[in-house]
Amino acid sequence: MTQKVGIAGIGHAKFGKRTDATLRELAHEAVTRALEDAKINVKDIDASVIGVACEEFAAQVSPAVLVHDYVGMGNKPVFRAEAACATGSAAIQAAWSLVKAGLADVVLVVGAETMTHLGTLKATDVIARAGDTRWEYPFGTTFPSFYAMMANAHMHQYGTTREQLSMVSVKNHMYGAMNPYAHIQKAITLEEAMKSSMICYPLNLYDCCLISDGAAAVVLANEEKAKKISDTPIWLTGLGAASDTMMISERETLTELRATKIAVEKAYGMAGITSREVDVAVVHDCFTIAEIMAYEDLGFCKKGKGGKFIEEKQSYIGGKTPVNTDGGLKSKGHPLGATGVSMTIEITKQLRGEAGKRQVNGAEIGLSHNVGQIGQYCFVHIYSR
Amino acid sequence: MKFGYVSCLPETPLITRFVEELNNGRLMGTKCEKCGAKYLPPRAHCKCGSADIKWYEAPRRGKILTYTPVVVPPESMSKYAPYMVAVVKLEDKTRLLAQLTGVTLNMLRVGMLVQVITRRVGADRIAYEFKLV
Repeated sequence: MTQKVGIAGIGHAKFGKRTDATLRELAHEAVTRALEDAKINVKDIDASVIGVACEEFAAQVSPAVLVHDYVGMGNKPVFRAEAACATGSAAIQAAWSLVKAGLADVVLVVGAETMTHLGTLKATDVIARAGDTRWEYPFGTTFPSFYAMMANAHMHQYGTTREQLSMVSVKNHMYGAMNPYAHIQKAITLEEAMKSSMICYPLNLYDCCLISDGAAAVVLANEEKAKKISDTPIWLTGLGAASDTMMISERETLTELRATKIAVEKAYGMAGITSREVDVAVVHDCFTIAEIMAYEDLGFCKKGKGGKFIEEKQSYIGGKTPVNTDGGLKSKGHPLGATGVSMTIEITKQLRGEAGKRQVNGAEIGLSHNVGQIGQYCFVHIYSR
Repeated sequence: MKFGYVSCLPETPLITRFVEELNNGRLMGTKCEKCGAKYLPPRAHCKCGSADIKWYEAPRRGKILTYTPVVVPPESMSKYAPYMVAVVKLEDKTRLLAQLTGVTLNMLRVGMLVQVITRRVGADRIAYEFKLV
């Protein structure tokens, strides 16, 4: 019970519009790479936790078993995790718990989603039904509209600007252009970001993450096995989780995600660190305003100063806390179930020193922050070498 | 009569009663008889666990907390787009989300006064919405 839990293998499928593969093949692509990275066989794994957010996107009821069986897990135990856009991180926390409890020594975590086959309007409709279907969806709310309302409230209260929102997009596209697994590998200018078409004021096209297909896989193991499997195991030293009201209208404040603040406090406490010690972070930038609120809610800057934080380039490599060095959801893409697992992969690469051109030199402590819906779910993980 | 522009849930006793009242010009919430918590829109059960709830008539005036125009709608709402949605804090401090009609983006500011009105949104559909005072 006292053993640490470590990341012993990572594998990332290419995110994008993947007309060449369905859920099972995408998952296989990620799992094959994770097993190669760990240099183990699928037979060495005791159980799997599969994160797929939505049956309608998968076009499959019971998608976890499909993935588990397809990658050759046979009769081993399989669990499915679901936490909307935070599904991948929920899967990692569930796998961590299985290992920590001693029910399994080595667990395979797979996050996967196929979304592009539905098209933008239909996909928007499916995601809109993650809003309360009795009292919100009947008015035509969308996920961009929820975050746009938070952005308007933030701009009103703290003077955050449209330009600062676009600056987040410019940064994430710059790093995404260096990530071979990213959906869109293209740098953009501030002007391009500001002039793109309006989705929900103040959010335009470049303020919104992508609808993507993709998968990601990690191997989690107890301390003994992790050291045996990997020369450079990365340890999960702090985990926090929290939730919030289903309806946005019940929130006392629209300028923060309370679940983030609660989850990160737990995670920092468990890891015994403060926000100052975080060398590199990946945060949930489903919309640019979400990244700005994350800077504040995670303690990287004071409340209301998130706009300044990006304007001063404090979230670039070389700044106070580099954020979304993999391109974030904005440029890398956001295949719901895969996103949280992909976040864990980026931090693992950074702490191993394998992030190439995107490397934060000497990074020792990392953080991932994954939000479901508009903070109805939040998971924060702290990692160390 | 069904609630909202679109819906995907069955008409239960709670929503049927709410819609009847709304059709008669009354905006009704529920209040917990045990802990006093108020809910608008209404709930059949309190978050304290009690099912001992009573209907109450909610105030019709409030202030805009935030808003946004939906330009790219869900597929089911395509024929209504673009439209404005807003969250409003009513005079009794409860908060409500609905569409805000008869406005353009440029004229809106946080804190503006609005009124909640009943609106028929189709032959057999009804909703509440906000209008600037």
